[in-house]
This record gives sequence, C-alpha cells and structure tokens, in this order.
Amino acid sequence: MSRLHVPVERHRLDNGLKIVLSPDRSVPVVAVNLWYGVGSRNEAPGKTGFAHLFEHMMFQGSAHVPKNKHFELIERVGGTLNATTWFDRTNYFDTVPSHHLELALWLESDRMGWMLPAMDQAKLDNQRDVVKNEKLQRYDNQPYGDWDERMQAMLFPPDHPYHHTVIGSMEDIDAATLDDVARFFRSFYVPSNAVLTIAGDIDRADALALVQRYFGEIAPGGALPPLPGKTSLDPTLGRTVRDHVVSDVPLPRVIMAFRTPPYSSDDFLVAEVSRALLGMGRASRLYRRLVRERRIAKSVVAYVYPLLSGASMILAWATGYPGTELEALEAALSEEIEGLVGAEQAEVDRAIALAETDLVHTLERVSSRADLLSMFDLYFDDPARLNRELDRLRSVTVDQIRSFASERLGPDNRAVLTYQPKTTG
Amino acid sequence: MSAFDRDAPPGPGPIRHFDFPPVERRTLSNGLDLRVARMPRLPVASVRLFMRAGEGGLGAARAGLAVLTADSLDGGTKRRGGTELAEALERIGARLDASSGWEGTSADLYCLADRLPEALGLLAESVCEPGFPAEEVDRAREQHLAGLRQRVMDPGALASDVALTRYFAQGVPYARVLDGSVESVTPLGREDLLGYADANFRPGTGGLIVVGDVDGREVATLAEKWLGSWKGTPASKDDFLVTPAATERRVLVVDRPGSVQSEVRVGHVGVECATPDYYALSVANLVLGGVFTSRLNLNLRERNGFTYGIRSGFSFRTRPGPFEISTSVGNEQTAPAVREILAELSLFAEEGPTDEEVAAARDFAAGIFGLQLETSSQIASRVTQLVVFGLPDDYFHGYRDNVRGVTTEAAAEAARRHMRPGQAQIVVVGDAEQIAGPLEALGLGPFDVLSGPPRTSHG
Repeated sequence: MSRLHVPVERHRLDNGLKIVLSPDRSVPVVAVNLWYGVGSRNEAPGKTGFAHLFEHMMFQGSAHVPKNKHFELIERVGGTLNATTWFDRTNYFDTVPSHHLELALWLESDRMGWMLPAMDQAKLDNQRDVVKNEKLQRYDNQPYGDWDERMQAMLFPPDHPYHHTVIGSMEDIDAATLDDVARFFRSFYVPSNAVLTIAGDIDRADALALVQRYFGEIAPGGALPPLPGKTSLDPTLGRTVRDHVVSDVPLPRVIMAFRTPPYSSDDFLVAEVSRALLGMGRASRLYRRLVRERRIAKSVVAYVYPLLSGASMILAWATGYPGTELEALEAALSEEIEGLVGAEQAEVDRAIALAETDLVHTLERVSSRADLLSMFDLYFDDPARLNRELDRLRSVTVDQIRSFASERLGPDNRAVLTYQPKTTG
Repeated sequence: MSAFDRDAPPGPGPIRHFDFPPVERRTLSNGLDLRVARMPRLPVASVRLFMRAGEGGLGAARAGLAVLTADSLDGGTKRRGGTELAEALERIGARLDASSGWEGTSADLYCLADRLPEALGLLAESVCEPGFPAEEVDRAREQHLAGLRQRVMDPGALASDVALTRYFAQGVPYARVLDGSVESVTPLGREDLLGYADANFRPGTGGLIVVGDVDGREVATLAEKWLGSWKGTPASKDDFLVTPAATERRVLVVDRPGSVQSEVRVGHVGVECATPDYYALSVANLVLGGVFTSRLNLNLRERNGFTYGIRSGFSFRTRPGPFEISTSVGNEQTAPAVREILAELSLFAEEGPTDEEVAAARDFAAGIFGLQLETSSQIASRVTQLVVFGLPDDYFHGYRDNVRGVTTEAAAEAARRHMRPGQAQIVVVGDAEQIAGPLEALGLGPFDVLSGPPRTSHG
C-alpha cells in the first residue's frame, strides 16, 4: 500500500514540449519547473563547464526581458527562483504566489524562445567572471575541493562524458564565445528537449491554456547532437584504483566509490537501498560502527548519484580524527561496505521507513514535487513513477543487496581517494 | 510575430490570501506551554520541544556545554543505548535531532502522523531521561573538537569566527563561536552534561510545538502522558550586556598563504529582535544586500563580476547580534571589492533607499512570507519563534501589514541608525602577500595582519 498520491496529468504541445500538471489547491503557492535534457555530459572536449556557464547566461535577459529583470520581477512578488546544472540535465525553477503563475510562464517562455537576441559580449564576460569566482569559492579555495574531479577521473575513462566535472576547467570557461552560446541554445534549449511541470494551486484548464499561449509558438528543435565520447563501460573497474592527496585539509578523509548500474536500470534500486543501509540515519552501518562504536571516524556519509549514461556511482566518505591513520580508516570503511553481504531484513525495514518519511517531507513543498515530476518525465517518460517510488524501494530484497555487495562493492570495483593533512611547522 | 504582446510582464490573477493557521494553546499540568497547529495537507507531524537553555547563559569557561549536551542526547537514555534509541526511532521512520543556539535548546522531531504517539515517547525519553554513557559523551566531545579544527581551516568559517571577535567585546557570548573553544570543550565529561541537563533541560518558560495532521486534544493527552511528570524551570540565565569591541573602523587580514580567493566580512554589532525598527530595518537590509537584486549584489556580481554572490543581514537575537556583509572574491579583486562594499554601505546609511526600492522590498517580504508557510516544519519554526522571543500570539497575523506599512523615511532612518560604516570592522581571510598592500592603501582605518588563524576564539 502507498499513502502517497500526487496527481499527475500529462500533455504535449505541438512543438514537442512535455507538460506535467499536478494541482494541489491547499496552499496558494505554485511551482514552475523546467528540466532541459542537457548537462555536462553534452560538453565536447575543450568545452567543459559550458553547460553551467550557459545556465548563468539564461539569467542575463531575453528579447522582452532586460538583464536581471527575471530576478527583479520574481522577487517583487515574493517568489524564489534559481537553476542548477548537473551531468544529465539543467533545471530552472520559480516558486511564486499562485496568482502570479502567468508571470513565471512569461519569463520562462521568453528565454526558451527568445534568448539569443539579448546576448552580448559584456554579459558573457561578466558571467564568466562570476562563474570563475563560483569555482574558486566552491572548489579551489575549499579543503577537499578537488575531490569530485579526482574521483570522476578514476571511475570514468577520459572519453566518457562523466570523466569531467560540471564546473569544468578555467581554461575552457575562458575560451567560451558568443558563438558557443548560440550553438548550444539552438541545439539543446528547444521545446522538444524540455519538460515543464506546474505543481500547486492551479486550475488545470487555465494553466494549460496559459502554457499554450506562452510556449505554443516556440519552434520545435531538431534532433539532439549525439553525446561526445563513448558511454558504454565495463560494469566494474576490474581492480582497485587509488589517488592520494597531501594538502591543506583539517582532517584525514577516505572517499570510496564504486561503479553501479545506471539510474535507468532497475538494478539501480538495489544500490539506493544499499546506500541507505550504509549511511541513512544513526542506526545505519557506517555511523553505528565507525562513528559510535569504533570511534575511528568523526563523520560518515554514503550516497548514490542518479546518472544515466552507461554507469553511475555509489560513494562513501569517512572523515577521521587528527591522528587517525588513513590505512586503518580505509580498512574500516571497506569492512563495513563489504559487510553488506550480511545485510538483514530489520535494517532494510528501517531504511524503507525512513525513506517514506523523507519522501513525504520532500513532497510538502510543491517546488520539490515539481522537480521530481520533471525528473521522472525527462529521464523515464513517466512522471507518475513518483507515486510508485516507495513500492519500488520496498520491492528490493535482502538477497539482492547481498548479491550487489558481493558483485559490486569489492576490491575489483573500488576507487579510493585519500586526503592526508599536510603537517605544517 | 507574436499573437499577443510579449513586451510587458503579465499582471497578477485574483489573489488568494495565505493566512497563518490557527494555533491552539494549552498549558500542561507541569506548566509546559503546548501549541498545536493543524495542517492536514499531508500525514505528517513536525514537533519542536524548546527549552530555555542556550549558549547565551554560559560563561566563556563553559562555552560549548549546551551544544555538546544537545549533541550527546543521541548517545542513549537511562533505558536504552544510543544504537537502540536510533533503531527504535528509525523503525517507525522518525527523525529526531537536538541542537542548541544562543537562546535555548530544541529537540526536533519529524514523523508520519500515525507514528506520533510512539515517537513523542522517544523524544520525551531522550530529553527527560538522558543516559549520557561515558563513551558516547567522549565520542561526541571528540567530534565536537574535530569540528572546531575544521572551522579554523575552512576559510569561510574562519573569517566569520574571527569577525565576531572584532565586532563584540571580549566576554560577550556573541564574540564566541557557538560551539565553544578547544579550551572550554576539552575538559567536558559525562558529569558536566548530566549536571547541565538536570539543571536546565526543564519545561518552565519553554514550549512544545506540534504542527501537522494532528488533533489538539489528542496531542495534549499524549504530551501529558509522556511529559506531564517532567518539572522545573531551567537555571540558565542569559543576562549579559552586549558591547562592541571597538568604535573605530579597523581592518584585519588573516593570512592564509596560497589562498586563491579572499573571504570578506564587514560588520558591527547590530540590534536586538525586539527593536521597534524591526520591520523598517528588515526592509532596508533587503535593499542593501538581502536579495539577488540588492544594491550590493548588482554592483559586485552583476556589474563587476567580483564574486559569485554577496549578502548582508542582521542576526536578530534576544540581544543585539551581528550585522554583517559577507562575500568571497578573487585575490586581485579583494581591495576593489572592499572599496565597493564600503562605498555602497556609506551611501546607503547616508541617503537611504529610494521609494521604488522600498516598494519592491516590501512586496518581496510580504509575498515570500506566505510562501514560507507551506510546510509543517516552516510553521513549527515560526511558532517556536513566538515562544523563544516572547512574541504575542497574533504576531504573524499582522506581519504582512507591518511590512507593508514601512515608509521610505522609516527605512532610511533605520538604516542611518543601525548601519554604521564609520564603525565597520573589516576582516579578510586570504593570501596576505597578494592582498594586504592594496587593502591597506584603501586607508580605511587601523590595519593589522594576523599571520594565521588565532589560537583561540579570542585571538
């Protein structure tokens, strides 16, 4: 049985734009959420970081909306807005009081249809500086800030689209041109490569009419360019690969990752539940054993990346104390991860119970509902999967987790990244 | 080409008002202030048990004790160990987390509504009968100390922590890191936590807030069952005065050799939550640095590309918390960024916002207030604020009218009174070799360079 039922209504405009409507009139808030099927995986060599830079350019105005006007108008009505870029997609979202739905649709449609006339070199130069500062702030000036670059390079070969990070390289960001902006826009920012979800306080017929009015005349796009590089991969790494860093970090840390089946595979569910057994809640394996009982780790984290192309990854981090030996920490972490071959039903039950609470918590916000519906539509052509998500998790058996651990979480599929604090005088 | 005019933004549809949900108040037999708001939208319950036992009531020698005590509640109870407690909660999908701030300690629970009877019992057991097993306390203390170590090596946290010591006089609790110092935390052990919890984890002057798909009477019965025999009032008293560390503008660079960016903080002592200028000042701050389209962000990010973002804000606490502008900027842009920040702050304090800016900020604040009443946790947090700051029950009912009532003159006056560029303390964590010269050349005031993080929070 499922306690959840989020209404889902699907439509498709003639230009290919997919629409998901999810009415909930209990609070006068509406979320407008757009997922475009483009991310860092679509970046050609020499263009790393461009999908994210492009996302910034989407806020620099469009034919009928001056620079910064999008922020100004949404903030004026008390709304919130932002966007994020990830490996497989880029999302844009506005949450507004429901009587301002039309404003959000006008803004989003204008940049989907009429962005390029507003682009100029000064805007590109400005946002390039902003993005470079974002990279400095979030990665280069942070302890452990290069971990994802190092980890992706170990898990994915150089010709794989997940080999490079979403933020990309400074050199590539520097090299971006207005021509790149135009080409990227025409290739990827087309109605047929997007999902528009509207969740919250709407009348379905009115909302659909507004969508038709604002998005209907945008020209459909052509076929998407193929992904650069090669996405097919061996299911495992075939060995243990490692990288060791001595740097200005406060505490020793071990980050361990394993290739998993991609998010599009049913087997990915097993990875999701396995990670919950490792790192969800304070009764989970890593917290109980490494933090509470052995006191070898100050903190632990485990998570999965929901990636589509060829393979995805499951990761676990253990951060030690000032004197912790990395070898001991790594051995302890491996032991718990491999220990999943002895997974038990009681811990699976706890993980499912927490997952249910967390999902309901997420669904309290219409903006989160909209984001999930867009994702399930873009990735799986199935937004209603949201209502089956818990049942899918419940279908995972202890035996599947045990097999997953023995097939996927051993030394023949392990990437290990260790950080050793630099000793200074 | 368009079938209609795309040039102008469409106007609003008919407005639907968003009112704060009714809150039922009851007093339990032990005096505990119970407040319940019914939100039947989803089958969840969001609970806050607030106790007036915060870091503000501790002297420097005991700094961090409230935080460590709250953190150690997950170590177990008199009846079960830490893992057993976690298993009992997680079996029913309940999330329980306790934390301390300046004003008090809060145990927060989130669960499906039909699990509330059991989950509330576990919350009560963990707060009223904490076990504090020695090995769990030792673990929590070592985690806490390692966390302090991480703060010193994180440039952003370091800048924020050092800045507090430049805003507030030594001895004022707000000059400290909330978590305390290595010196104050290291000696803490099981007996300290038992003593602190026994004296301070008490229901008097606190509150129990429950929001969600719940019935007020049923919650009262449950609370009486689990918490009714819990008695007393916290011994903690936070009757300190807030004084500034300096009244002249000063600049401090904390050297972080090799830093590729500078963390910048500009601020001074702000104002208390109960200030009559609360609304006017909140609106003024939105214009200066509270939203994306603020003066500071449009200048430093969108015009100059110095930063990924910049914000300003007042921490409204029982007593005056900090007013602070914070950002991070590239090395070469450090001095120009600080110059622009001071220029914007000075101009704003002197001339105040324009009518148009005030109108936009009022609309933002009034609009987003409704958007932030969507979830049970958001409502629970708001009701908790009523308890913490002793605000009237109908406080949030009048919130939007109060915001909309702010005039340009009132916002300008509040900015003039509470933003003081002449007394601003400027703290920059970065590579001194690259940034100190140009910063000193700005001539903003007495200039110091610290050759690395201060050894304690009062460096």
